[in-house]
Amino acid sequence: MKPGSLTLRLSLLFVVAVAAVLMIVGIAFNELSRHHFRALDAQALEEKLAAITQIATESGANPDLLRTRWHTLLGAHPDLSAVLLQADGRTFFAEPPQAAAPGLEQATQRDGVWEWENEAGMFRALKSAVPLPDSPPLTAWLVLDVTTHMHFFTMLQRWFWSVLVASTVLSAALGWLVAKNGLLPVARVAQTAASMSAGSLKERIPLGPVPDELRELITAFNSMLGRLDDSFMRLSNFSADIAHELRTPISNLRTHTEVILAKKRAPEVYEENLTSNLEELNRLSSIIDGMLFLARSDNGLVVPEPVELDLRAVIGKLFGYYEFLAEDKGVPLRVSGNASVLADSVMIDRVVSNLLSNALRYTPAGAAIDVGIHDYGGRVELRVENPGPEIAPEHLERIFDRFYRADPARREGTGNTGLGLAIARSLMEAHGGNISCTSTGGRTAFILTFIRTPTLQG
Amino acid sequence: MKLLVAEDEPKTGIYLQQGLREAGFTVDRVVTGTDAIDQALNEAYDLLILDVMMPGLDGWEVIRRLRAAGQAVPVLFLTARDGVDDRVKGLELGADDYLVKPFAFSELLARVRTLLRRGNSSLPVQTTLQIGDLQVDLLKRRASRGGQRIDLTAKEFALLELLMRRHGEVLSKSLIASQVWDMNFDSDTNVIEVAIRRLRAKIDDEFEVKLLHTCRGMGYRLEAQDEE
Repeated sequence: MKPGSLTLRLSLLFVVAVAAVLMIVGIAFNELSRHHFRALDAQALEEKLAAITQIATESGANPDLLRTRWHTLLGAHPDLSAVLLQADGRTFFAEPPQAAAPGLEQATQRDGVWEWENEAGMFRALKSAVPLPDSPPLTAWLVLDVTTHMHFFTMLQRWFWSVLVASTVLSAALGWLVAKNGLLPVARVAQTAASMSAGSLKERIPLGPVPDELRELITAFNSMLGRLDDSFMRLSNFSADIAHELRTPISNLRTHTEVILAKKRAPEVYEENLTSNLEELNRLSSIIDGMLFLARSDNGLVVPEPVELDLRAVIGKLFGYYEFLAEDKGVPLRVSGNASVLADSVMIDRVVSNLLSNALRYTPAGAAIDVGIHDYGGRVELRVENPGPEIAPEHLERIFDRFYRADPARREGTGNTGLGLAIARSLMEAHGGNISCTSTGGRTAFILTFIRTPTLQG
Repeated sequence: MKLLVAEDEPKTGIYLQQGLREAGFTVDRVVTGTDAIDQALNEAYDLLILDVMMPGLDGWEVIRRLRAAGQAVPVLFLTARDGVDDRVKGLELGADDYLVKPFAFSELLARVRTLLRRGNSSLPVQTTLQIGDLQVDLLKRRASRGGQRIDLTAKEFALLELLMRRHGEVLSKSLIASQVWDMNFDSDTNVIEVAIRRLRAKIDDEFEVKLLHTCRGMGYRLEAQDEE
């Protein structure tokens, strides 16, 4: 069944369900009727046999009287025939007179009742010994013609199939109507969704008039809209930020150059200003490098080349790099724990370096930076923790955004491009891991999480 | 040493030519790939600096034809695109180095010198280096100035050795970070400034003649006589 139309699908399922239920009911009814008829027939045969036996007990001494009474008993039933045989096989009594003992070649026996079918029709029979007072018992065959029952069943079946076909057609029509009607809310949701555009990402599909089953879908859809809106906002902010980040240094360069060129100056002044321009240009250059790196990363072009990395050794190497700076600031660097992960050496150097440089920037003199490596089996955590000013919760979420600085005053100076943490996050994501930040009790910690997957370990 | 610069952006080409000339090289400049091939086949150059994106014949096509013609001159590519594929393609075609725009001129100069040095590696292996009265014994890992022993940590020594080996050259911070600390990415810390300040305190502060010079915005240079 092709999943093209939900209405078609539902109608078909409806038809199948109705047909299946009708089939079961039909078969059950058929079986029950057959059982009921069989029981009725057996009862009728047994009643007659009991009467025959009763008459034999009362009038057994007089064969003529016996035959007359049996004839009276059985003659009124055209569908019933009886044959009573003597021990030597001769017929003692037959009603109607031409009746003979049945041949039992095709007969089956069920609960003492014989049953067979031939060109004359269908028959049920009882065989029993009828005791006589003075002579040996007779063998009695009592045969009931049940052909009319068979006619009933044939008719029943014919009706059943006709009803089945009719109901199927009817249920197909009903199913289509029901499905069409039931899916109306979906169509309405689709209509709302279709009217959305980038400009109306703030809109949400109302949950009010919607059936319960669709609630989950709509909630998911709405939260997707939320994420889209968020990304869209970030993208717009990013463009605005680029403009701002680049505009400031370019405007500085322009002003500087214009002012210097406005009149003749001593060579030292030109030199000083060119040097200052160079510094500004270097800053621009590193912003562009960082942005290009993030753009490549966003497009999945930053592909790690994983090798077995001993994190303790990585930290050791980076501590070597930051040693002078840390000593200068009077900030001890400490490391604990160990683990190895599969990761790209240069990329992880860069991530941890960004975190250490960040930590060094905000740790007060005398306080220590602690790096903890924790191996949890399926994942490895690397924490870079330092005491220092807390990051407000509203900033925590956005601290990994490009150009996001919790404190706008830190924008200038220190050569910080505002891309370090964004790059750290994109590098961790390229590794299938993540980066997070907590800041409570006067301590700030950045946590790198590496996920160990069986394929990566292999 | 004779270099050829092929760069279609005239301003970039002129600045490169001027910078390299002032660094002591003879520099010819062309603006198309076709001219680059003609020049390279007719004159003997020690190094070609090729822009990848040129109208007509691009840098890759130029190197392909030159190599096909049996010309083995070292080639340094300049490109505005930084894709790993580009880098691999360039190196597969026989480029010797690869520099992504925007680059620092000091970085280009350092790469050019490295490539030219590679050509004549018949220099005797040096165990001691000397600049002015500053002496470094590479085997004993010892440094002294004016006969006075200077105690250096391992990293300070490595930094000094790099500056001594490439004396006279401006070494950028990222080159120093990469060579001394194996940090192969640009970081925005002032680690190198601090390291230079420490080294300077040990080798320069007590002496009249300063050897370690800061080139603002570019890097650091170790030189006996300040030319200014």
